Amino acid sequence: MTEAITVVVVDDHSIFRSGLRADLEDYVHVIGEAGDVDGAVAAVTRHQPQVVLLDVHLPGGQGGGGAEVIRRAAPTAPGSRFLALSVSDSAEDVVGVIRAGARGYITKGSSGAEVSRAVATVAGGDAVFSPRLAGFVLDAFGAAAGEQAQTDEELDRLSAREREVMRLIARGYSYKEVAAELYISIKTVETHVSAVLRKLQLSSRHELTAWALERRLL
Amino acid sequence: MSSLPAAPRRVPLLRPRDCVVGGVSVGLARHLGWEVGTVRWLFVGTSLLGGAGVLLYAWLWATVPVEDPVTDAGTATPPVRHRIPLRWVGVVACLVAALVLLLSWERTGGVVAGLVFTLMVLLAAIGVFGPWAIRLWHELMAERTKRVREEERAEMAAHLHDSVLQTLALIQNRAGASSEVARIARAQERELREWLYAGVGTADSDLATDLKDYAAALELDYPVRFDVVAVGQSTERSSGELAASSREAMLNAARHAGGDVSVYIEGSAAAVDIFIRDRGPGFDPAQVPEHRLGVRESIIGRMRRAGGSATVGCGAGGTGTEVHLHFDVGRRDES
Repeated sequence: MTEAITVVVVDDHSIFRSGLRADLEDYVHVIGEAGDVDGAVAAVTRHQPQVVLLDVHLPGGQGGGGAEVIRRAAPTAPGSRFLALSVSDSAEDVVGVIRAGARGYITKGSSGAEVSRAVATVAGGDAVFSPRLAGFVLDAFGAAAGEQAQTDEELDRLSAREREVMRLIARGYSYKEVAAELYISIKTVETHVSAVLRKLQLSSRHELTAWALERRLL
Repeated sequence: MSSLPAAPRRVPLLRPRDCVVGGVSVGLARHLGWEVGTVRWLFVGTSLLGGAGVLLYAWLWATVPVEDPVTDAGTATPPVRHRIPLRWVGVVACLVAALVLLLSWERTGGVVAGLVFTLMVLLAAIGVFGPWAIRLWHELMAERTKRVREEERAEMAAHLHDSVLQTLALIQNRAGASSEVARIARAQERELREWLYAGVGTADSDLATDLKDYAAALELDYPVRFDVVAVGQSTERSSGELAASSREAMLNAARHAGGDVSVYIEGSAAAVDIFIRDRGPGFDPAQVPEHRLGVRESIIGRMRRAGGSATVGCGAGGTGTEVHLHFDVGRRDES
């Protein structure tokens, strides 16, 4: 990593912000912090960071939390990518921020090195999937029950390859390990993961929309 | 309070809670020291004098308070009991009045009679449906209050626990994955998370739930972090051989590898697959001495006997060990 990645950290717990800041690798450069929805929108607009590390549960604004930050800040900072970072691993929270436009989702149990790697991945334009999120995707798209997309354009089901990639990620494989296992390049793995992320954001599958509707995210 | 010489003490004028009509006669009789029958007849007699008795009775009924209940503190106040159901007497009276008006319509018919008739019917309707409507209204309000209160509580709990989860995550990060503090924090986090996010009424004999519980228990005893991901509808019971083999593999991973261990459970209508993957020093089944029965017996042998299969091999990229357990759900029905 030659150039530092600029990051804004949004979290309502200042202890966690400073802890995270101290843990991040050298190539991640924190240029701003915020503790609520309005502050986050302002900070992202002002600093135009490459990546926004975003807590899902945030006070302020209209009560929409992290998802609201993404929807409000994305138009004013077109170059910024959002990476959700949360203690919650409930399906509604995950789906909420991903559908709002986050490029990935990791839990706060992750180490500083893990978060840094995720930041780099997101900054590079790729998606970050935790094993849990991959498992959730397999469930939500009915892949575990054997449903499979017939064409690449289909948004409501996963293709055979996407399903394979998701299964390996759910088993704890890194992108590199997935690539080696399936005899494909890392770039191809990343393409598949991004495709799944896009489906997660655009799909009108009942399970996904029901969750999103319940949280008033649509 | 009373320093006066002892005058004959008078019972205070109160209406008893258990009464025939309004409790006025009994209350008055006790207060004056008369016979109840005398007072009653007095009321009836004076009622004939232009209804004075009725008016007096009504006035006393409205102004004299009901006596305090003789119950222990803390118990609910019993309601006033009328031996004559006043409500139904009122309803019947109104209906009779309305009927009389209707029958004598030709003689008394007019605007006033019409109004009185309407009023009577209306009063009867209120008498019949009023208490029911009031109860319904009370229930509705009580339910609404309860719901609002519950929502508030849930919101507060979520916020509180969010903060606690944050702190626990921070402790784990700061303390290092294998330290005692981190282990305790992780166990606490799991417990709290279970309580916060788990759906209400999850079947406790479900395989995924059971393995999650087991992972939590192992985390307490070994420097290990389990990430259990369950996908699909698992109909597998936690008591089966598959669960026993999974637990054995998880125990091995915790004991020999430690660190991060991924457990992936995939259940479909046809089969259940479980992957347990660690990032430890790795392990070659061929090099395990004969007397070490852990893997060969408890995992591979057990799965074979149950009609499934188990594969133990190198993890991805040559690091660690991955155990794959496979079990066809349909097969068990044949045996």
